[in-house]
Amino acid sequence: MFAFLVRRLLSLIPVLALVLVIVFSLVRLIPGDPAVTLLGPGATDTQIAALRAQLNLDEPALLQLWHYVAGLAQGDMGVSLKSGQPVLDEVLLRLPATLEISIAAVLVAILVGTPIGVLSATRANSGFDHGVRILSLTGVSMPAFLLALLLQLVFATWLGWLPVSGRMSSYLFVDNVTGFALIDAWLSGEPGAVSSVLLHMILPVTVLAAFLAATLGRFVRATMLETLGEDYVRTARAKGLSRREVIYGHALRTSLLPAITVVGLKFAEMLGGAILTETIFSWPGIGRFMFEAIRNRDYPVIQGATLVFALLFMLTSLLVDVLYAVLDPRVRRKMK
Amino acid sequence: MRELIHFLRRNTLAMVGSGILGALLLAVLIGPFLVQSPTAIDMSAKLLPPGPGHWLGTDSFGRDMLARLVHGGRYTLAIGILVVGIAFAIGVFFGVVAGFTGGWLDTLIMRIVDAMLSFPALVLAIALAAAFGPSLENAMIAVAITMAPQFARVARSQALAVSSRLYVDAAHALGLPRRRILLRYVLINAIGPLLVQASLNVGSAILQTASLGFLGLGAQPPMPEWGADVSANLAFARSSPWTALGPGFAILLAVLSFNLIGDSLADWFNPRRRSQS
Repeated sequence: MFAFLVRRLLSLIPVLALVLVIVFSLVRLIPGDPAVTLLGPGATDTQIAALRAQLNLDEPALLQLWHYVAGLAQGDMGVSLKSGQPVLDEVLLRLPATLEISIAAVLVAILVGTPIGVLSATRANSGFDHGVRILSLTGVSMPAFLLALLLQLVFATWLGWLPVSGRMSSYLFVDNVTGFALIDAWLSGEPGAVSSVLLHMILPVTVLAAFLAATLGRFVRATMLETLGEDYVRTARAKGLSRREVIYGHALRTSLLPAITVVGLKFAEMLGGAILTETIFSWPGIGRFMFEAIRNRDYPVIQGATLVFALLFMLTSLLVDVLYAVLDPRVRRKMK
Repeated sequence: MRELIHFLRRNTLAMVGSGILGALLLAVLIGPFLVQSPTAIDMSAKLLPPGPGHWLGTDSFGRDMLARLVHGGRYTLAIGILVVGIAFAIGVFFGVVAGFTGGWLDTLIMRIVDAMLSFPALVLAIALAAAFGPSLENAMIAVAITMAPQFARVARSQALAVSSRLYVDAAHALGLPRRRILLRYVLINAIGPLLVQASLNVGSAILQTASLGFLGLGAQPPMPEWGADVSANLAFARSSPWTALGPGFAILLAVLSFNLIGDSLADWFNPRRRSQS
């Protein structure tokens, strides 16, 4: 296991190096002089020269890349052009908010998507199956901003059951201890704080989870159908096991393993969706921060946020591979 | 080909998808001749609810939403196909070259592909579009660049599989130039799965370009692009929901139609799934 982990980590190094080159190149892709573009038409020569110096734009490209990587190694992601604060501090401040709704969305998607996929496969080509297929294809095709808008209109504006946006009611005062609103609300002991956070989480988590649940449901249906046609499932049936035992004891286990990979890969797409979701629900995470940075042409922040999203994705892929190796006896045997 | 058409005609989901796509195509081809200009401002008719005269209502500038939808549809459908076309050309070129030549060039190309696939697609598209500057063309290029690695992966594996076939060996033995073997034998025989991949990607190309439009990185006002229209009307969504919901549902229908067709095509090319559907 240890050797596998080391090999997997080593294989990440060249990819990480190229990821850094891509993120570094982002500012250099700006047409013309990036400093002039970033500062806008009213900028003085002194301001332009100062920004060029701050972004190391006067140096040769390779030296710029070296400074960028060396800076990153010391935790320096540059300084936000808007706030003047270090980008790393700003990103770390907002990371828990993004993780909070993303993790909740993954859990919801697994809890909803898996049973739907199984039921759909065991009732293949029934009315239920067709209904689920159309619904899940709709879920995959739905723009996140449309679903967010619909849910806001129905549940917040028309029915008034849930808050439109934000992270908790404004009259509550909860200290920022961990950055995770739910944990902070619980730690504060303030009455109603936990329920307020949960109510605020429902809509953004639903929007994020919808795409993943739909994808997972489709995938579990497909793998489950393949598994149900395998010889060992027929043997289990021939042994006289009940339908329930065959489906949940034999087929489901095999079908769920590849589903881990799908959850891992789609988690990344979900993180991309966080930019739209957080923007619409005013959720103070990295996604909304990146959106504001785009509006302000704050490139160091765009670079920093892009890098953090990529790192989160790479970390998830690593976790998925390790989890797969732990759970699948065939992979485990190969490693030995 | 006849078998494929027969399969699709018996497939309910494919028929629903084709029906929606056909209706959309008809609307965007004929519609623009029947409605007023999508950019004609009439401040005396702003935010009118759907009704006679303005079937889908008007926006905050008094512009007819139906006119904006049918004109915008032309952009959206063209965007989907153009973006996938660009991604296909870039991805297949590098993928086939990598799979066919092997060696250090293969390693280099595939490592770059791995690195690009290490970003959430929308995040990389947003970062690229932000660097290129906000415009519809730049947004399309950004989405195409992020989509190309997927084609490169499929193209490489296909090229690898095809390269080891006897007829490719025979072509080498006959002394045909490498470029000719690549085009005439490898590419032609690898094209099937690539076309399925392309049909599956049209929907997400539309979705991602619309998302960039929504974030202000795509089409700029007053262009009637659907994603940008949802974003522009968001402020009025609570009092006049039709302004934002109209273009939003139009995107959903367009993406859904391509996904229904793409999904059925994927079923056709996968014999295991074909027998189940």
